[in-house]
Amino acid sequence: MLRESSNLRAINVNLAEVAHADGMSNDNDICAAELLSRFAESVVKRELDECTHLRARIISELGEEAFVDVAATAAAFHGFVRVADSTGIPHSTAGGGQDSSKLQREIGIDQFYAAELRDRG
Amino acid sequence: MLNLTDCGLPIRDDLLAAHAHAWDSMSKAGTWLTAKRRVAVAAEARQARTCAFCQLQKEALTPNSVTGTHTSVGLLADGEVEAVHRIVSDPGRLSETWYGSIIERGITPEEYIEIAGLVAIIVMADTFVFGIGVEETPLPSPQAGAPSNYHSPGSRKEAAWVPITEPEDVVESDGTLYPSNKVGYIHRALSAVPETKRDYWRMAEAHYLPGGSVYDFAADARAISRPQIEVIAARVSALHQCLY
Repeated sequence: MLRESSNLRAINVNLAEVAHADGMSNDNDICAAELLSRFAESVVKRELDECTHLRARIISELGEEAFVDVAATAAAFHGFVRVADSTGIPHSTAGGGQDSSKLQREIGIDQFYAAELRDRG
Repeated sequence: MLNLTDCGLPIRDDLLAAHAHAWDSMSKAGTWLTAKRRVAVAAEARQARTCAFCQLQKEALTPNSVTGTHTSVGLLADGEVEAVHRIVSDPGRLSETWYGSIIERGITPEEYIEIAGLVAIIVMADTFVFGIGVEETPLPSPQAGAPSNYHSPGSRKEAAWVPITEPEDVVESDGTLYPSNKVGYIHRALSAVPETKRDYWRMAEAHYLPGGSVYDFAADARAISRPQIEVIAARVSALHQCLY
């Protein structure tokens, strides 16, 4: 989805950063990518102080309405990953089946635990 | 601490309505679970966040390399507790073998789907309020009533670990299950329990994108751009080691 939405808008994005320890940087053409990536990580790890700090920054830089949608998106994907991973749906069909093994290698998600299990886990 | 409705942030009406619907639905009997059991699943999902054994498993090289017992609130059977805790704490390392072990402990695939859907809903709700910085909504009191025990006639176990009702197999009694016949597997995952699927997607669409916008990459349906949405989505998924 990130690749498709970026391609369509001719936006430069380093997909490999998604799975990097440091997350996304501002070297991408996506406004506030590093801030959004850090906020997402603070929510996943439930780091209260970091989340509070980043919340204030996002509201300051992007506005309150934007912040609500940032938090909502982070929450949505806490649900999506649980539905996808608990039901064993075939991940080879993700992204409309466009997530090739080459792309998975480039991004680094071929190193994820479930990649060893293949589609059926 | 403030709650969702008085926090002062411009939270969309559809988001507030989705949360209200989720709690109301959780308080009622579902398709296979009583209201009491549904609320117990929610309580157990919250409990899993502080479970020492979950943390131990998560830090282990493989989840099966450690032994122990989940710290439970004590309202569910052991197999249900294991299902809820693992889905909450370490979803990226679940396997079909693990799923099979849950079913062998006496949970039917349909019960499992309802549990998984409920876990996804409460994790989503609680994550949103954590991100926003307000207090968690108290769990509802279970209401009286019996589960419908509705079995989706077209459901079959083929593409995933769990049975799925494919778009071409939907019958009238299932109600509306899909916006179209061309939907990804993420949309089909909970379909064998139609009410659970609808409850989950009502929340998911309010938090992510309206159904019709997901594959319209040129549109900006929210107050942030689509690439910004997908940065957050990709980062959350990667940190959960989710291949999908």
